[in-house]
Amino acid sequence: MIDRVFREEAGRLTASLVRLIGDFDLAEDMVSEAVAEALVRWPRDGVPDRPGAWLLVTARHRALDRIRREERYQSKLETVAALSQEVTREPDDRMRLIFTCCHPALDTEVQVALTLKAVGGLTIAEIARAFMVSPPTLAKRITRAKQKIVSAAIPYRMPGPAEMRTRLHRVLTVIYLIYNEGFITTAGERGTRRELVDDAEWLAGLVAAALPDEPEPLALLGLIRLSLARWDARINAAGDLIVLADQDRSRWDQRRIDSAVRLIERAAGMGRPGPFQLEAAIAAVHCESPAWEKTDWEQILKLYDLLAAIDSSPVVRLNRAVALSHLAGPTEALAVIDALSDELGAYHLFHATRAALLRSLGRPGEAEAADSAALSLTTNPTEISLLRARLA
Amino acid sequence: MKYVLLLTRGAWQDDASSEDQAAIYGQIGEWFGKYYADGTIVEASKLQGPHTATTVVIENGSSMLIDRPLLEAKEAIGGYAVVNVDDLDAALALAQTWPVPDGKVEVRPVDEM
Repeated sequence: MIDRVFREEAGRLTASLVRLIGDFDLAEDMVSEAVAEALVRWPRDGVPDRPGAWLLVTARHRALDRIRREERYQSKLETVAALSQEVTREPDDRMRLIFTCCHPALDTEVQVALTLKAVGGLTIAEIARAFMVSPPTLAKRITRAKQKIVSAAIPYRMPGPAEMRTRLHRVLTVIYLIYNEGFITTAGERGTRRELVDDAEWLAGLVAAALPDEPEPLALLGLIRLSLARWDARINAAGDLIVLADQDRSRWDQRRIDSAVRLIERAAGMGRPGPFQLEAAIAAVHCESPAWEKTDWEQILKLYDLLAAIDSSPVVRLNRAVALSHLAGPTEALAVIDALSDELGAYHLFHATRAALLRSLGRPGEAEAADSAALSLTTNPTEISLLRARLA
Repeated sequence: MKYVLLLTRGAWQDDASSEDQAAIYGQIGEWFGKYYADGTIVEASKLQGPHTATTVVIENGSSMLIDRPLLEAKEAIGGYAVVNVDDLDAALALAQTWPVPDGKVEVRPVDEM
């Protein structure tokens, strides 16, 4: 808990300081030095009454030392010296920060890393571990991005109404990528990283609270909560993945499902459908089904049709075909999926899905070949063991 | 804040019919006229074709000449504009209005130190 309080405060302070001193690097350096000091002192002396003010006083102090040492910061001396103990907080500060970190002029990977670092308060080492890049490489990328924000004058503000929709979608996509890397990793020795899912839930909650009239953040928060509700039933004691059909539904966290469904319904009530609402609605249909055999595939297929109308990506069409297979049978679904081979030939779930359909059609030889193709394309350890078990 | 918009040539300059080209050049003319008039554009030029380019390569203090542009013909620079706007969002929005059917615009902040 101390960790969360701490990261909240550090994130808020960074967000306000970037606005006040107009220097991303210096603001972050200030806060990270204060954080380092707090890490030593707070466990020993206790958390101060006003942790935010404590961090600011310490940050200001360290920054002044640093400005005296480093020429590049000289021009900021007066601004930093003038910072009072009560940094004015504007409610939008963290939203400004998150929209700046997710600015479309930055690479998606950098958007993810910057958001985790500046908004989520993760260290370079933690982010590097989560995404399997070397810490110096990541540090260099982040430094460059922050320099670009300052040098190219990427504005530190919330987008205007005209750009809000696309910019918000990008922010939510970054949060979704963080969630997804935790849900099923693409790198590393672990199959899942629960802490990234928790971070994504926290970030989605932040955006949903700041933009209460927007349906998509609520839906993304609901989607992540539904996934957390099923977390314990999804992985067995050995750390292996249990597919949805085989999960023990009595182990799903019903309270969490209910709260997620309320969020998703609230979003739907706003009458502005979007991709995260549809994806969340699909997950909700699964979560509300008492048994795999009772899954309402017709409803799911309808939702996929709506999703495909706004997002025509081949992955959406692949997932739609899975729903179709439960209604129209494997032959029809396989025909749809085979037509996606050019676009999805390098995607392991394309081959794994084909394998399942081929097996149910009594074509084990082709199924095995498809599973082998899937195995050669995934790097996730739990998926590898699942596919190996099928091939054994 | 000053930015340079580096404007590449587009396939339309080779492939489009001469009437279409004339129409596009007309729009380009209007674009420059509009943003010169309101002070957004500080300075701009259209460059002559890439076949007129010579690249000077300097290595170990001595130089040699190459009879071609720096960048591949596909992305050869066709012109540039120096613009004065509030921030990157404004510069990107401006670049997005560059009225050509195909091409690229690199937006680079000027180092005003």
